[in-house]
Amino acid sequence: MMTPFFRYSMCVLMIGLLVSTKGNAQEIDLSKYRMRFSLNTTKQHDNFRILEASFIAANKKDRKDRIPVYDAEIAFFNVLNDEEVLIGSSKTDKEGIAKVTVPDSHSYLTDGNGNINLLARFNGSDALDEEEEELSVKNLFLDLSLTEIDSVRSVVVNAFVLDSLGAKIPVEEMDIVIAVGGMLSKMPIEDGTIEDGEFIFEMPVDIPGDANGDLTVYSIIEDHDEYGDVIQKKTANWGIFTEQSKKDTNTLWSEAAPIWMYVVLTILLVGVWTNYVYTIINLFKIKKEGKQLEMDT
Amino acid sequence: MLGKSSPISKFWIGFLIVVILVGLVAFVLQVIKGHEITGMRDNVVWGIYIINFIFFVCLSYSGAFFSGILHFFKTPWKNSVSRIVEIITVLSLIVGPIFILLCIGRLDRLHYLFIYPRIQSPITWDIIAILTDLIGCFIYLYLTFIPDFAMLRDNSEGASNWRQKLYKSLAIGYKDTPTQRETLHKITRTMSAMIIVLAIVAYTVLAWIFSLTLQPGWNSTIFAPYFIVAGLYSGVGVIIIAMYLIRKYYKLDHYIRKIHFIGAGIVLLVISLLFGYFTFSEYFSRWFSHKIQDTNLLNTLFNKYFWEFILANYIGVLVPIVILFFKKFRTIKSITFAAVVAVLGLWLNRYLIVVPTLETPYLPIQDTRPEFIHYSATWVEWALSFAGIAAFVLFFILLMRLVPIIPMSGIIDYEREQKRHHKPLIQNQKK
Repeated sequence: MMTPFFRYSMCVLMIGLLVSTKGNAQEIDLSKYRMRFSLNTTKQHDNFRILEASFIAANKKDRKDRIPVYDAEIAFFNVLNDEEVLIGSSKTDKEGIAKVTVPDSHSYLTDGNGNINLLARFNGSDALDEEEEELSVKNLFLDLSLTEIDSVRSVVVNAFVLDSLGAKIPVEEMDIVIAVGGMLSKMPIEDGTIEDGEFIFEMPVDIPGDANGDLTVYSIIEDHDEYGDVIQKKTANWGIFTEQSKKDTNTLWSEAAPIWMYVVLTILLVGVWTNYVYTIINLFKIKKEGKQLEMDT
Repeated sequence: MLGKSSPISKFWIGFLIVVILVGLVAFVLQVIKGHEITGMRDNVVWGIYIINFIFFVCLSYSGAFFSGILHFFKTPWKNSVSRIVEIITVLSLIVGPIFILLCIGRLDRLHYLFIYPRIQSPITWDIIAILTDLIGCFIYLYLTFIPDFAMLRDNSEGASNWRQKLYKSLAIGYKDTPTQRETLHKITRTMSAMIIVLAIVAYTVLAWIFSLTLQPGWNSTIFAPYFIVAGLYSGVGVIIIAMYLIRKYYKLDHYIRKIHFIGAGIVLLVISLLFGYFTFSEYFSRWFSHKIQDTNLLNTLFNKYFWEFILANYIGVLVPIVILFFKKFRTIKSITFAAVVAVLGLWLNRYLIVVPTLETPYLPIQDTRPEFIHYSATWVEWALSFAGIAAFVLFFILLMRLVPIIPMSGIIDYEREQKRHHKPLIQNQKK
């Protein structure tokens, strides 16, 4: 006889086995989010300029809840007065970022002050409104040289802009970071200020380079109101190379395992297998006695 | 040893053979077409094969553990269940490792594991542990069978010729002389202790295959004891189910009694409490850590796998506890029902340990297809899984036809022991 409890439990189990929630798709309520659309530009060491638009939906109440907008078409323009010249367009990736790279040969439209006015635009979709962001930067040139001045290894940075006639105008009072290239990222080694268009920094002599002793030095202007991000780099044979003389042996990552592992494994296996052999020897003894008894009878 | 086949048992054997044949077809297809026809992909490289492997190996270790305990401590109701436990141990140790072979994409490179082993790798430890345990279990099971083979040899005049020859060679001339009996008892007792230790070591190594990686959900210090407790949980569950089926279909009510079910049920209750405690500790510490990968994993478990999680870790633990805790619920049927719930819950628990973790990796593959991220077993995997279960049951039925399911020698030994203990009393009374 099945008890009522038994039946009830069976019911719960059966219902549970039948229900599957595999197909629950997540819907996002957009009214809870504020759209964040921003534009940034970086002038690289090869004088190519990267235009980067970021498109993120940020929760109005939960700062940690940020959802990147994926696959949104962003168009980048160079603007002068009412004229808009399309530079290029790109779709946002899974991080919500759309990028275009503009070659150094590209000639920008500039206003009377030498400003390049840039614009990023998202035309909107069924679910999202149109977004637009403007940015104005001047074309800054960083001239980086790694030289020895009085036998002292020096990093010399000259920063200037060009006027309409092509003459160099040194920039004043601008923060700069000097960094060296590492395996994964850049390591800052000095912060300073450019004055009269120049910054000189005495390079330390104990920084490791690559296998050939080469060291890549970066001069970086970061998030400047007038110039945006500008990066320049140069390589010199200034690094030191220390060869790792000690080879790892008997570790978890070397070819041979740690000694204790061999010892423990051997003790365990010898212990177990000795017992197996002992058992089998005793089985032969039983068999021998059985044969003897058979022969006697 | 069980008698001639009834039409129902013939039908069941036929059905099991059909299931195995379907599994063989699936296996051939998998060998020809590769893992493409399974649900396993770049992210979820392990599916239900590894879950079945863990489940069966679990069963084997817990069987070995209980068998060792029953023999070593000369438990009173040893004779009724020990043979069932021993057969479960060996059969699951044969069926289980087949599933790990099904997981391997390049079976032609299997021998590399033996040619180029890395002692630092838990996979190498596991291969050594499983092989050593398999051989140990075979030796141990054989030792427990010898007296019964001797009895069958001496009482099988009417049996077929091949049977007589088989029993004679397997009995290795055992005549139950005092020396032979003493030697056999000594080595069986030593092997039973060895089997308990081996079960713990081998099961720990199996848990380390997971916990020594940094994967979210696996990298846990309590994984080895958690696996041992989970293994014992499923082991007792399957033993109870086997006891019930054998009792019912082979009319062994006289040998497998309610007291055995209540005893096994109380063991199941204690282990279910321990298992519930370990499960709670495992998930609670993960939830409290607030590590982003752990949070992602728990979100997956509580959304995509909500019902599976409830079935595995709530119903699979609480239902057996409630049934077994109250005396009035402890009937043979309800204890068996609790065992079924425990076994199903534990299989799902294994699924939730393996698949959701692989679906939420540290470094997602960029721009991958959704079907490569989410796992869903195909008919090939299910066919091979059911074929494994069918093979287990079929071998069980066939073994029961060859050897006695209730060890006769054990009953004789027990009666002998009883007499030895009662004799001095009678002598004293006479004095």
